[in-house]
Amino acid sequence: MRVGVFKGSLIFLSLLVTGLLILAVGSLFLVPEWAEVWADLSSPEMLFSLRLSISTACISASMVMVVAVPMGFALSRFRFWGQGLVRTVVDLPVAFPELVLGLCLLLLFGKNGFGDFLDSLGLSLVFSKQGVVAAQFFTALPYAVRIMKSTFDYINPRMEFVSRSLGYTLFETFLRVSLPLAKNGVLAALVISFARCLGTFGTVLILAGGSYMHTETLPITLYLNISYGNMGMALTSGILLVAVSFLAIFIFEKTETSI
Amino acid sequence: MSFLRLSGLRIDLGEFSLNGVSLDLEKGEYLGVIGPTGAGKTILLECIIGFYRPQSGRVWLEGTDITDLAPEKRRIGIVYQDYALLPHLNVFKNIAYGLRKAKIGREALEAKVRAMAEVLGIDRLLHRSPETLSGGEQQRTALARALVVEPRLLLMDEPLSALDAQTRAETRGLLREVVRGRGATVIHITHDLDDVWALADRVAVMRGGEVIQHGGLDQVFSRPASRFVADFVDTVFFEGTVQSCGQGLSAVSVNGLTLETLDQAVVGSRVRLALRPETVVVSRARPAGVSARNLIAARVEDIVPNGKTSQLILRSGETRFPALVTQGSLEDMEIQKDAEVFALVKAGCLRIVRENGLSR
Repeated sequence: MRVGVFKGSLIFLSLLVTGLLILAVGSLFLVPEWAEVWADLSSPEMLFSLRLSISTACISASMVMVVAVPMGFALSRFRFWGQGLVRTVVDLPVAFPELVLGLCLLLLFGKNGFGDFLDSLGLSLVFSKQGVVAAQFFTALPYAVRIMKSTFDYINPRMEFVSRSLGYTLFETFLRVSLPLAKNGVLAALVISFARCLGTFGTVLILAGGSYMHTETLPITLYLNISYGNMGMALTSGILLVAVSFLAIFIFEKTETSI
Repeated sequence: MSFLRLSGLRIDLGEFSLNGVSLDLEKGEYLGVIGPTGAGKTILLECIIGFYRPQSGRVWLEGTDITDLAPEKRRIGIVYQDYALLPHLNVFKNIAYGLRKAKIGREALEAKVRAMAEVLGIDRLLHRSPETLSGGEQQRTALARALVVEPRLLLMDEPLSALDAQTRAETRGLLREVVRGRGATVIHITHDLDDVWALADRVAVMRGGEVIQHGGLDQVFSRPASRFVADFVDTVFFEGTVQSCGQGLSAVSVNGLTLETLDQAVVGSRVRLALRPETVVVSRARPAGVSARNLIAARVEDIVPNGKTSQLILRSGETRFPALVTQGSLEDMEIQKDAEVFALVKAGCLRIVRENGLSR
């Protein structure tokens, strides 16, 4: 009987929280006037925000993958000096508040030696669109590295050993064995990174600034319009964020099952 | 210099280590490596093939020091217990994987793959995905993939242990035919002494990252260098005192039994006699006119069935010893527990092992 009550409580708790989440997301779609949403969607601010969000998220997520795949492989396969440090530092932003991460990046890329050096290369990361990409990159990277490391951990290293014994170099083995076997992980990391980049708020706000129609991504649009009391635009940007995230997850699911 | 020489290999990977392994193997020899889990057997193979670089010691192959050579340049093949087939390639592509790197031309490649697949009886499976194959078929594919590139040395890490008894016996036969038949030089890790008996020329026993004994099968199985090796290879020891020595025979008194051996020993010295269960002949009636020097009247204390054979635990006075008989013989002789039998042991099958070689 006690087991039944315990089991029932767990199921009830799961259903209750899921229900609340569905209600919360559902209210985003139930509260607004749809005519207003359509009008807001075609507003110059929303179109700018959507375009900037999608383009920066695509660039950032691609950059994240270019770094996360080799990092995940290195952390999974090699033992090297400073490995623990790399793992901890890369993981830190997962636990960091985004605002603090943004502040750290602002200090790094601001008016100091390193920031000036990047400036001289024409790469100004503070209060700029490049800054949006940098903020998204550093926010999403830890998640992608974690996914890639677990993906490579899961692949039997003996397959790579055998490949090497058959004449393939480590790099060739990586391309012919490790990467093809990690394709689901790569796809998962890409989708998570994209969704994370798209939704990054605090880091973008601090490093790139929340400038109207300049560094305004969808989360910033939501924030700015809430601040002005413009609920219609805020809700529309929220709906767009949810819709794009759902689309990303949907494409991921479809692609994964077809692989 | 021998074909393969390992000199003082040391590596510490935390859980597993090698503590100064030295071995020599001649071309065409088949070495069985046995030892308990964690003895360092797999690490030994992976140091030879180059996946791990030893912290000290050298690996020589065909007179060349290959310790610092990348694995892809060593031309050493490996077959794992879990097959390590590439799941994103079909059987044909798995076998052809190494040949593609060798860039031998499409027709030659296809001919080689098909010929090897035919030899191993998997020519009808070439289009199949590895995960649709049985364990035996996967192991044949892994073997084909390793052999088709004609490696200088073939390493096998418990290649038969994941297979069921019948498939194991079949694959063992295949190994004898294909691998031994080609005169390949092989190091084969196994837990199954039957593999060693059926395939190996030499055997090495590992424990705690060291090779504690190696040599010919007879040398290791009949004269274990330590009690650990004796236990591991199912050899039985008797302790006794040498009563006489002369005319090519030594008589050793063991708990009131007098056992004769061909080995020489100093009269009065304490020795240990090593006996292998499969060399003991069992008879219900007292045999007459036989050449065996040791005839022991014994009682069957227990019968332990083990597949096609049974191990009889015999007792004579204070001395217990095992004898291996086939299931058929057991039934023919109607031997049951507590039956009175006679055990015959040839003097050549009892070997004296020196006292100082028996530390645990």
